[in-house]
Amino acid sequence: MSTSFKPFSLIAEVTHRCPLHCLYCSNPIELQRAAAELSTEDWKRVFEEAAELGILHVHLTGGEPLARKDLPELIAAARAAGLYVNMITSGVSLSEERLATLVQAGLEHLQLSFQDIEEVSANHIAGTRSHSLKLALVPVLKRFPLAFTVNLVVHRMNLDRLEAFIGLAEELAPDRLEIAHVQYYGWALRNRSLLMPTREQVDRSIPIVAAAKQRLKGKIHLEAVFPDYYASFPKACVGGWGQQMMLIDPVGQAMPCHAAAVIPGLEFDNVREHALGWIWQASPAFNRFRGDRWMPETCLACPRKEKDFGGCRCQAFLLTGDAEAIDPVCSYSPNHDLLTTLRASAPEALPIWRG
Amino acid sequence: MDLQSIPRLAPGCRLHPSEPVLLVPEGTLNLAGPARDILGHVDGKLSVAAIVERLLAEYSGAPKDEMTQDVVDLLNRMEQRGVVRS
Repeated sequence: MSTSFKPFSLIAEVTHRCPLHCLYCSNPIELQRAAAELSTEDWKRVFEEAAELGILHVHLTGGEPLARKDLPELIAAARAAGLYVNMITSGVSLSEERLATLVQAGLEHLQLSFQDIEEVSANHIAGTRSHSLKLALVPVLKRFPLAFTVNLVVHRMNLDRLEAFIGLAEELAPDRLEIAHVQYYGWALRNRSLLMPTREQVDRSIPIVAAAKQRLKGKIHLEAVFPDYYASFPKACVGGWGQQMMLIDPVGQAMPCHAAAVIPGLEFDNVREHALGWIWQASPAFNRFRGDRWMPETCLACPRKEKDFGGCRCQAFLLTGDAEAIDPVCSYSPNHDLLTTLRASAPEALPIWRG
Repeated sequence: MDLQSIPRLAPGCRLHPSEPVLLVPEGTLNLAGPARDILGHVDGKLSVAAIVERLLAEYSGAPKDEMTQDVVDLLNRMEQRGVVRS
């Protein structure tokens, strides 16, 4: 089978190792071991093949990409292949010297996430002492020709402080600001009752975000995403299955999205055995929900399918047990009451950290 | 942005070497028509007026007023989007 879709971005999960243990971590419950990670040479080939496929952006992430000793080599290889190099990092253990080698290698954009406005709560959410390290890194970043994004990860535990949280971000003066509601995949799903905001919190947050957007116009580019579980229609997850992006996990499995491994029966081809171009075209996992052939009748007949591509398959599976079901976020889903029930309850729950 | 402003691309923003797109953090902006040529002159040294002069030399016969307006409009939009600074 061949596809006319052209991938735009490559998410390179170069390792699952991470000094943080965030309660909202969306990585799988079972992490890949360091010993099984792809080699430097494997990644170099992946980046070259990605650029040949027409991919423009690589997003180095994990886990914590800094855990890879060969990170400067990986960045240089991606850049030499012609890719724009983004890195998502906790910043923990990133010295000025090491950052200099990464920028020298070709790093163009660095994203740093924050967990809350103050030390105790932020470290509680991150499962480690990291807040002050992140704050200390910001003035260092500013010395380099690098785009800088602050990502505020929001959920029930910190959404009441959103205004102050945005204030903290403004003080850090990034080029971009993302306000990212937690999504319930991987480890985060275990903490959903702790993390899911209440309706009142969500309603209060909307005008705060709108005002910040207005205030920061021309200064900081703000991107905010409405929390999925309170929407009436599903998100256009990953821009459509197998339509825009590829994810390579630490051991080389090529996936159409971050969470796809939860779907039973999907098998992922590995970049150790196949070229990226072949995987994009022919891998059964990429073709499984590509286009609209898999869709239930309600979606097939719905004009919104051009916008949301049928929503999120992983979410459909996680909530209903059927990966072909209508995404329950959609108000046309017979299972939409799953979400209305969750919205109505804000149970007391204890945090569960990764062991 | 006025004629004396000296625009530059924001950190982490660069033109794609062959495609008509501006690469920006996490994304791309498609550059229609003369936008790529305009941004090609944005180097943190040339003023808006100097960029217009360069473009007039490249597009012979183009009316100066219209060209100036197009350049200022584009750069203002790009500044609002955070990818051009002055």
